[in-house]
Amino acid sequence: MIVAATAKVAGRRDLRPLLVVPGALWLLVFGVAPLVLLFAMSFWTSSIFGTTTDFTLDNYRVIADDPVYVQVLLQTLRIAATVTALSLLAGYPMAYFLASLGGGRRNFFLVLLFLPFWSSYVVRTFVWLPMLGRNGLVNTVLMEMGLISQPLDWLLYNEGATHIGLVYVYTLFMTLPIYLSLDRIDRKLIEAAADLGAGPFRTFARVTFPLSMPGVLSGCVMVFLLACGAYVTPQLLGGTSGMMFGNVIAPQYTVTNNWALGAALSVILVLVVFLCLVVFGRRVRLNDIFIGG
Amino acid sequence: MAALAAGSSPPLDVRQRGERARRILLWLYAGLFYCFLYLPILLLVVLSFNDSQTIGLPLQGATLRWYREVLGSPEMMWSIANSFMLGVVSAVIATLLALLMALGFRQEFPLKALLMKIILLPILIPGIVGGVIYLVFFGYGEMRFGVWSSALPVHITWVLPFAFLTLFPRIHGLDRSLEEAAADLGARPFTVFRRVVLPIIRPGVVATAMFAFTLSFDEFIRTLFVIGNERTAPVHLWTLLSDQMAPFLPAVGVLITVISMLVSFVGFAASARASRTG
Repeated sequence: MIVAATAKVAGRRDLRPLLVVPGALWLLVFGVAPLVLLFAMSFWTSSIFGTTTDFTLDNYRVIADDPVYVQVLLQTLRIAATVTALSLLAGYPMAYFLASLGGGRRNFFLVLLFLPFWSSYVVRTFVWLPMLGRNGLVNTVLMEMGLISQPLDWLLYNEGATHIGLVYVYTLFMTLPIYLSLDRIDRKLIEAAADLGAGPFRTFARVTFPLSMPGVLSGCVMVFLLACGAYVTPQLLGGTSGMMFGNVIAPQYTVTNNWALGAALSVILVLVVFLCLVVFGRRVRLNDIFIGG
Repeated sequence: MAALAAGSSPPLDVRQRGERARRILLWLYAGLFYCFLYLPILLLVVLSFNDSQTIGLPLQGATLRWYREVLGSPEMMWSIANSFMLGVVSAVIATLLALLMALGFRQEFPLKALLMKIILLPILIPGIVGGVIYLVFFGYGEMRFGVWSSALPVHITWVLPFAFLTLFPRIHGLDRSLEEAAADLGARPFTVFRRVVLPIIRPGVVATAMFAFTLSFDEFIRTLFVIGNERTAPVHLWTLLSDQMAPFLPAVGVLITVISMLVSFVGFAASARASRTG
């Protein structure tokens, strides 16, 4: 509406900003409105007869009183942070490798990196069951090598498996922005550092790494965000000890039908994630995260 | 270059040797990384042909029966068809909305920064919340849950930000002088768009639509909560996974993967061509 008004003020020539109206309206209805409803519902009352609009703070009280929720929330943040760190450790050298390649080779290895991510999230998580299971590849190889005599049971259905699964599923979102920001570094700067007598490690620590920080931050924010909202991976691989906040939210809708409590839990997760975004996002411009710092 | 620039400080061959060692290490690391990426997928492909009632090793001879079973299952085929149609329709609508928005974003207008944040919102909301939020929204509005009634708007909303973010840099970087020339020669705005802008950005638009298709085709968590009794391919795989570890599951995974990889690859090629020509 405001958009329309100013276009009119600007005269009949420039109506082009109006082109954003359909998309903006769509996002207001299907992006913003559901979030507002969720927020409102977190103050409503759910019973076996359904959810009514009676205002209450009980949902938040239940969450505050039961230590399980806080515990799982902290566990979720911890897992997300560890997964982010692991992805950074795994992804940075990979990004460096890609940025060091020449044209044709680089495209080949880039496609090779993308390929697994062009497959459903569910499939990419599911592949770890036959990897880590009792009669899976890891156990079979270890037994063939004579390192173990019995298949290991602890490879799957715990926090470790959740970590592996999440790193596997999200590593591209770390590697790609780092690669893009490494690729953007002016080669002359690195050569200049070398000319001035800096060794390769010093050049990396003082020139390359600082210049790749936008990509590192983008990747970290992205992976952390994605990991906080995980549901499939902990559900399939995590067992009971590798549970995350998503696995506490979902049953409120699929099992107990306590929509209001589920809404309150969701609001808490959204707030925590947005808080993290505000803290770290100040250094990264939000759109850079997706276009790749 | 490095050798030429080395000058006097460290002896030349030492430097070169260090360079080579680092290069080898980097390649070794990349090899390990690709193993980590591909080993599980290759294992899945191998197991999809394994003639065994349990998913896992040892290998007990090759068979095509799991593929026959999957391709012969009407539910499976329906779920793939649903995913396919949903992907096409949501890709077309989302790309269109994103294209209009990207064209509008070339101008300045009030609340532009706020709108940018709203565009990013569907990506920033944690996945699981992105699922329940629509269950609540459509459930409270007492809408019927299904592929076309609830899953379609959810998919369009999910795909829209990505479509916008891939299109926007391309459209933003367009040389305006061409359009101005056309306008000066008397072309009306729509004609300028159709005859000048569209031919330039078409490959980018096609690539975006492909990208949007795969995002929709692979979408799971947001779909799970609003699909009701109907099924998309990833949701069908999920229900099979939760039910029992049926021996044909690897074949299902491979099929879903092959379809989205094929489309993505075509999209990637289109996008590579787009960035070369425009």
